[in-house]
Amino acid sequence: MSENSKDTGFFDPTAMFKNMRDTGMGAWSKMMIDMVGTESYAKAQGEILDAWLSNSAPFRKVMESATTQTLANLNMPSRDDITRLAERLTNIEMKLDDLDAKIDGLCAAGTKVAATKKKAKGSEEDDK
Amino acid sequence: MTQTHAPQNGTATFFDVCADWHKAAENLETFNRLLHTDARIAQTPKELIWTLNKAKLYHYVPVVPEEKRHKIPLFLVFAIMNRPYVLDLRPGHSFVEYMLEQGYDIYLLDWGIPGPEDKNLKFDDYVLEYLPRALRKFKTVSGCEQFSVLGWCLGALISTMYAALRPNDGIENLILLTAPLDFADKEQCGFSRWSSHPSFNADRIVQTFGNVPGEMIDAGAKMLKPVDNYIGSYLALWDNIENPRTVESWHAMNTWVRDIIPMAGGAYQQLINEFYKENRLMEGTLTLRGEHVDLKNLTANVFNVIADADHITPPCQSERVMDLIGSHDKELFRVHGGHIGIMAGRGAEKNTWPHLDAWLGPRSN
Repeated sequence: MSENSKDTGFFDPTAMFKNMRDTGMGAWSKMMIDMVGTESYAKAQGEILDAWLSNSAPFRKVMESATTQTLANLNMPSRDDITRLAERLTNIEMKLDDLDAKIDGLCAAGTKVAATKKKAKGSEEDDK
Repeated sequence: MTQTHAPQNGTATFFDVCADWHKAAENLETFNRLLHTDARIAQTPKELIWTLNKAKLYHYVPVVPEEKRHKIPLFLVFAIMNRPYVLDLRPGHSFVEYMLEQGYDIYLLDWGIPGPEDKNLKFDDYVLEYLPRALRKFKTVSGCEQFSVLGWCLGALISTMYAALRPNDGIENLILLTAPLDFADKEQCGFSRWSSHPSFNADRIVQTFGNVPGEMIDAGAKMLKPVDNYIGSYLALWDNIENPRTVESWHAMNTWVRDIIPMAGGAYQQLINEFYKENRLMEGTLTLRGEHVDLKNLTANVFNVIADADHITPPCQSERVMDLIGSHDKELFRVHGGHIGIMAGRGAEKNTWPHLDAWLGPRSN
């Protein structure tokens, strides 16, 4: 639109509005960046977050125990049960990774020995 | 923006107005689609070679014949609270694709998305358990004992600590991108100021959530530049909605930005308490699993890339490390751009990637 208005010389309100918007946004953006960088903002943010977490804790605790109780009554595993199971699986994975490392080490050693033997055999044949 | 036809005799015809409205409706539909759909990203072919818990190690399929490839492979380590595919954003604009074409053999460690069972994972585990295991497999598959590591953001912090703790493990070259290492200056960065304030209680956050929700981390990052992130970005898209290149680039980046993941609670607590508040790495008081992290032991060649307009990791967080590391071959490189923009922005292909290649290439043979 603005290009068009330049071409034709007509007044383009959209371009004017866009310029005003960009100028305003730039100033607003700078003001907000300065504001969130102040000590008082840091203090307010920390306090609001902390208050929210502290005040909501009893409700969350009630919800969690109710959910756990319901799941237990239904003979279903709770979130903690699944978490413990997942932790055990990770430990098993660690053991498998250790085994994988040992197998890789054995394979590498085997390849090395085979290469040395081949080299020795080759030099023996050369001597003959 | 919509473009009007040149008015005839100073008056737009009824048909011109209809065409404009039609175009505006189309643009609105495109805008809506871009906000709510995912772009096709991370398209460079790769194979999975190792997994452990949520972590995965990928090997990108080389595109250069073996005899023309660099001898020392490149191992990429990204941050733990974002998805790593920003390194391979979209075909034609991918750091991985670019480096493959320059003849590097590339491996990428994806830390994965932590579940509730991972809430106690700390940097100790990432640095001394997961990374060494991934590197062990990487060495077996690549057949190379020497390697280069590129760490970005918290990935750079992890790589730095590993390079300092295991200097003889084969790290030849270490590239640090926007590395948050020094938290002495609380004035330059909003994060430092917020998290260092006594009223900010990381322990309570972790106690409440276990893992720190991705939405919380995302909101924290966006609040550093609230107008730009919550409004400016969308206005920029609307202004360029008829430019396919800009739209494609915005869509890919937005797909990555929207893909937020939680951060392991233990690591978050450690990041805030031991790094942001106490600056232990720089002060020389950091220990991981009882091992003292001494930056003097870091002897790999170091290329430290700093983004001069980075509001997440401001330059002051990455500069002083150069005086503390034991490397003889070290270089500080400044790029104009932001935290993510220097590697994934439109200027990355000209301003960052070629410099990384120019530094790494001669040291990779």
